[in-house]
Amino acid sequence: MMAKHVLRSGQGAGAWGLGGLCTALALSTAPAMADEMLGADFAELRGEASVEAILFPDDPLFPGQEDQSLSFAFEPTGILEWNSVEGLGGADVTATIRPFFRVDTQDDARTHADLREAKVDLRFGDTDVTIGNDIVFWGKTEVDQIVDIVNQVDGVEGTDGEDKLGQPMVAVRRIVEAGAFSGQASAFYFPYFRERTFLGTESRLRNGIVVDGNDARYETGAEEWTPSFAARLAGFYGDVDAGLHVFHGLSRDPAFEFTSPTSLRPVYGRITQIGLDAQYTSGATLWKAEAIGRFDQRNLAFEKEDYAAAIAGVEHTLYGIGDSNADLGLIAEYAYDSRGSNALTPFENDAVIGARLALNDTQDSSALFTAAIDTETAETVLRLEAERRLGDSFKLEIVGQAFFNTDEASLFNSLRDDHSLRITLSAFW
Amino acid sequence: MDQSKQTGWAAFIVRTRWLWLVLGLAVTVAMGTGLGKLGFNPDARVFFAEENPDRIALDSFEAQFSKDDNLILVMNAKEGGLFEPDILAAIGELTEKAWLLPHVRRVDSLTNFQHTYAIGDEMIVEDLVPDLLAVTPEVAANARKIALSRPELLDVMIDPTGRYGAMQVMFRLPGISPETEVPMIVEETQALAAQFRAEYPEIELRLTGSVMINNQFAVSGQDDGMTLTPMMFGAILLIVLFAFRSVVGVLMTVTVIAMSAVIGLGALGWSGVALNSVTVLAPLIIMTLAVASVVHVLASVRQTMMETPDRKEWARVALAEHGGEIAVACITTAIGFLALNFSISPPFRQLGNVVAVGVMGALFLTLTFLPALIAIIPMKRREALATTDRFMRPIAEFVIGWRKPLLVVMSLLVVALASGIPRLALEDDFVRYFDDRYEFRRDTDYFEQNLGGLNILEYALPAGRSDGINDPQYLASVKEFTDWLRDQPEVTHVRSMTDVIQRLNMNMHADDPAMMKLPETEQAAAQFLFLYELSLGYGMDLTDQINVDRSAMRISVSMAEATTKQMLALDAKAQDWMVENAPQIAVAPTGMSQVFNLIAYRDVRAMLTGTVLALVAISLLLLLILRDVKLGLISLIPNLIPAAMAFGIWGYSVGAVTLAIAVVIAMTLGIVVDDTVHFLSKYKEGKRKGMTPEDAIRYTFSKVGMALFVTTFALVAGFAILSTSGFAVNGDMAKLTALTITLALVADFLLLPALLITIDRRETMKASTPPRTATTTTTTAALGAILALGMLAMPNPASAQSAEAKGLAIVQEAERRDLGWGDFTNDGEMILRDSSGNETRRVWRGMNLERPAQAGEGDWSVIVFSAPRDIDGTATLTQAKIEPSDDDQWLYLPAVKRVKRISSSNRTGKFVGSEFSFEDLGSQEVEDNTYRWLRDEACPGLPSLSCFVIEGYPKNAKSGYSKRISWVDAQEYRQHKTEFYNRRGDLEKTLSATGHEQYLGKYWRPARLDMVNHQTGKSTTLLQSNYAFRTGLSDGDFNAQRLPRLSR
Repeated sequence: MMAKHVLRSGQGAGAWGLGGLCTALALSTAPAMADEMLGADFAELRGEASVEAILFPDDPLFPGQEDQSLSFAFEPTGILEWNSVEGLGGADVTATIRPFFRVDTQDDARTHADLREAKVDLRFGDTDVTIGNDIVFWGKTEVDQIVDIVNQVDGVEGTDGEDKLGQPMVAVRRIVEAGAFSGQASAFYFPYFRERTFLGTESRLRNGIVVDGNDARYETGAEEWTPSFAARLAGFYGDVDAGLHVFHGLSRDPAFEFTSPTSLRPVYGRITQIGLDAQYTSGATLWKAEAIGRFDQRNLAFEKEDYAAAIAGVEHTLYGIGDSNADLGLIAEYAYDSRGSNALTPFENDAVIGARLALNDTQDSSALFTAAIDTETAETVLRLEAERRLGDSFKLEIVGQAFFNTDEASLFNSLRDDHSLRITLSAFW
Repeated sequence: MDQSKQTGWAAFIVRTRWLWLVLGLAVTVAMGTGLGKLGFNPDARVFFAEENPDRIALDSFEAQFSKDDNLILVMNAKEGGLFEPDILAAIGELTEKAWLLPHVRRVDSLTNFQHTYAIGDEMIVEDLVPDLLAVTPEVAANARKIALSRPELLDVMIDPTGRYGAMQVMFRLPGISPETEVPMIVEETQALAAQFRAEYPEIELRLTGSVMINNQFAVSGQDDGMTLTPMMFGAILLIVLFAFRSVVGVLMTVTVIAMSAVIGLGALGWSGVALNSVTVLAPLIIMTLAVASVVHVLASVRQTMMETPDRKEWARVALAEHGGEIAVACITTAIGFLALNFSISPPFRQLGNVVAVGVMGALFLTLTFLPALIAIIPMKRREALATTDRFMRPIAEFVIGWRKPLLVVMSLLVVALASGIPRLALEDDFVRYFDDRYEFRRDTDYFEQNLGGLNILEYALPAGRSDGINDPQYLASVKEFTDWLRDQPEVTHVRSMTDVIQRLNMNMHADDPAMMKLPETEQAAAQFLFLYELSLGYGMDLTDQINVDRSAMRISVSMAEATTKQMLALDAKAQDWMVENAPQIAVAPTGMSQVFNLIAYRDVRAMLTGTVLALVAISLLLLLILRDVKLGLISLIPNLIPAAMAFGIWGYSVGAVTLAIAVVIAMTLGIVVDDTVHFLSKYKEGKRKGMTPEDAIRYTFSKVGMALFVTTFALVAGFAILSTSGFAVNGDMAKLTALTITLALVADFLLLPALLITIDRRETMKASTPPRTATTTTTTAALGAILALGMLAMPNPASAQSAEAKGLAIVQEAERRDLGWGDFTNDGEMILRDSSGNETRRVWRGMNLERPAQAGEGDWSVIVFSAPRDIDGTATLTQAKIEPSDDDQWLYLPAVKRVKRISSSNRTGKFVGSEFSFEDLGSQEVEDNTYRWLRDEACPGLPSLSCFVIEGYPKNAKSGYSKRISWVDAQEYRQHKTEFYNRRGDLEKTLSATGHEQYLGKYWRPARLDMVNHQTGKSTTLLQSNYAFRTGLSDGDFNAQRLPRLSR
């Protein structure tokens, strides 16, 4: 039944996901590998299955939208590990496959599948090589990571942009030790481009004008086979952790053009980005900053513009508040984008304050509250996330989200009635 | 330099002057708030970096035996000697009172000397003067006879005439607040001494010892700060006033230099480093250097004011014409000082950094705040040429006219002076760091002249095995070595346990003088020592002579008024002797004196790199600025020869020099370069305007001659004032610097112009290749000499071994036994139980890497969780540090694939909700706590085993505990039980360790740990299994960026 949904969704993401799955299957069934598989030094199959309900207290703004949504997700992970493989120069080899499936009973756009990971990691001493689909995280700040460019956003999974699609890549990483600096230098080659997934007409939390993700246009001849490249140096020196990167290739952030007065399509063009992310750890206080300069990116007005963006902030943790075991983390960040109202991101001149409470009990109960406030328009997004483990293998997560000051001119205008409460119950094995 | 750009910049500064005024003040205030954080660290050991191998050896030695924080009370009974009944009683009384001083560990005096004798078969150990209330003339005469016959006392506690005596008070400093502990002891001791002197005017009493040395470091540091600062201000005021005849100018100068000093010192405050006797000079050095920058601006103003009354124009011209050179000068100065970071001695590194910050502050203020002030505040206009400017023309004419003789004479002078460099002798003696204006120095000299020496070489002679010190062969070797040392003329006293053991042998044989020799069997030696220890008085134990597992004995060699060279020579002889006669006990010496003996040698080598780097950096900068390779090369000459000449002069005149010499080249290089920069850039400008070399020289003198003269004068005056410091390290540094800067001006005024004209003349006469002049050759030779000086071969020190208090020794032994495991992996499981017995589990894999014993670092570990399943793959990496530094810690969150550096300042928080706090699980390093041995008793749960019971007190105030009591078995040094007491002092938790298993035939690991919280009734069981040692893990497996890969 899952497979049927995958086929039916017909989206680019789904298609690639399936393609990747086939590749992985082909790899794993190759006769040469069969003997090795039996000889694996470590093998594990684990996973997570969840049921998610989203409730919208206000009536929907657009026809076809519903007041609630119920969906199921399934994410198994398979790992095989071989130590010191002779034929590969004594490398340690790990093969990982992690597909992801979601079936939404109300919203067809959210029913999708992806290969989050389908990769082989090879380790030669201080050098690591990764081949296949993988997710790579870059960044230091909490609310948004502007430097995090490797993976495409899975736009139908959540609204916070933290869910990413698996990116096909060849990555070579090498440990770098220079004096007191310790870190890793990495070079990436991305042969294939992942298109963003977009919510459909019946989805809540969608843009006023629907984006047709399947109608994407490329400004490069090779389209999704346009290669991208990146290099990164990340590590730490004393109390400072920092990363530097350069990226050249298709922008993960599409610009949009109208195909009809009620329809937009994403346009992907080639960009170059350089960026820096850093964190200074001073006792219980973490100072964080990210900055990028990006060239040739089309903005909201569909003009090519070179721009700079930065996020800086601080996180301070109060340990053992009120003589309990609970810790309270206070977060303040500010995001700036030189494109101003032409930015493709809502975080163009925004202050974010937040608090993270961790009870440090045996059930790892924790809560995160954030308020993102646009310093010019006063648009405000409030968000509360709370989670707690139930027993040994279940987890309950509740996310509430509300939008304020969403007037006509606001990017969030179409979300003004989409205050929501999401409840997720997950099982792990 | 782009003149138009500079003009634009100058106009901009003047236009926005109010902004710069406010900004300058704001920066100063912001940095200045750091001043409140400044403390003062008086410990003489601040000179030893953590990584200094000599210090590591000393720390290790002191850990095995004792840290000699001592006070010596020197007594002189003016008539009749000390062995009069009433005087002995007085000494006895003073001994008793000394026990009441703060942090006292032990008091050794004539009266409580542990005398042994035999009555029949019985050995008696008692105080030399057993009953202080009944000192009869017979008792006194007997005491005198014994004291003068005992090698333990003679020439250290009593002189052969019986007139001079000493009492030694040993302290154990808690080290919690170094700025108050030593002064408190000294204050109370001085009160005690005053009382004693009043009561017994016939006895002269003086104080010395290492506590007094430390106190002296504090006193002279404060002294320097208090007396030199006003002198400095006064001198600067006079110089500026004389040069410019302007009160407003003086006020501006004082404001700017004081603000610069505030910026530099504030930075030190913010960095959290306490002041010490060297960095206390930093504000004075910063002010001296800042004056130089300010003077350049004021000198230009003084010249411009003759042409226009527009104050804004004065500021603009000053900035446009001199801003670039001032910036270069300040930057090169800062580079020179930053090179001090290569020093092996932390105070110099700190000095370099503070001064560099201060100089950059001065640069910022001189280029913004000062011009703003000039444009805003009215200053009296003078239209006549300044007096000093009038001197410049004749100098220029003299140099131009006499350039050939000058070249020859100067070259000869440089060679003659530099040839004195080999005469320099590195001489670091912490006593003689202080000159005799200080009572401490006079008292110490008195002690060394009449009794022993404060300079002590410590040898911890290894016996090769536990209890090996009782081996007759070992004892014989030690005795021979002792006798050999006593034969050396420079040695005043040797303290050796063999004296005691021989005497015990005699006592045990009914005081038969023929038996005054070493026991013949190991058993006898062990037995005698055991009996002796049992009979010793309170606090008189042997732990400072013999280490805990009895594998080493200490020999202390005193020398009076010995120089570094003599001490090193004696040790060289001793090493030869040991290799030849007793190779099994051969060991390198340690002790405070030895660390100081080698510090200058090490520092000269360390600074060599720094100096060369600074030279290269500064020369490149000069090349960049002058855009002229020829001028750049020529600039090396006036930059380098002043230091060579100054060292040579020092070598001829003084000879002995402290470790300060190592930093002088780097320091002065940055300063003397300033003159060269100003001189050469103006000369080049003149040449560009089409002048002949002679006219360019005239032009240069008229433009910057006065400023160079005044700045040099101000700098020399400043450092001359510093050189009056009674603390030789600072004094030497200041004297050498003042000398170098003076010679630099001489070189710039007399040698450089002659050189420039000669070379440029030849070029115009088509002699295209600049010849290698006599001077360059000399410079190379001098440089070679300096380098050679640094390479002087000296004996290589090796590290010694052993314990301090028994507690520390046991913990160290436990640590020592666990050294060398390399790496291991294991599986961990925690079972968490609440008070009603409900259980939850945590499961993980662990990887651990032992880090080589490096200062400030602990072991590395990675934990990867596999249950509960929702945190499967979550991983932490910890790179431990020694308390109170926080560990470096990273967390990997597999759901978002994110590696995040996290704060590890939370010591008391619970690890994954268990009863183990982060500090319970963190890598425990010996240095994290102070220890006390409580008692020995049967091990909990294992009555057949004997356990040491040790109390440990965390050094970090962030710890959740006031103390821990641990049971460690005496056989394998495994921990069986630990009680944790919370900050209120209540018993909070008990940890039991069971199922110890041994790996690699050496390393013990408990299979099960049970932590019970008595306050809440909760408990946690930690099971660790599947240990695999030496699996070949490396640093690269503990790289934060690799956590995603490790987490699987």
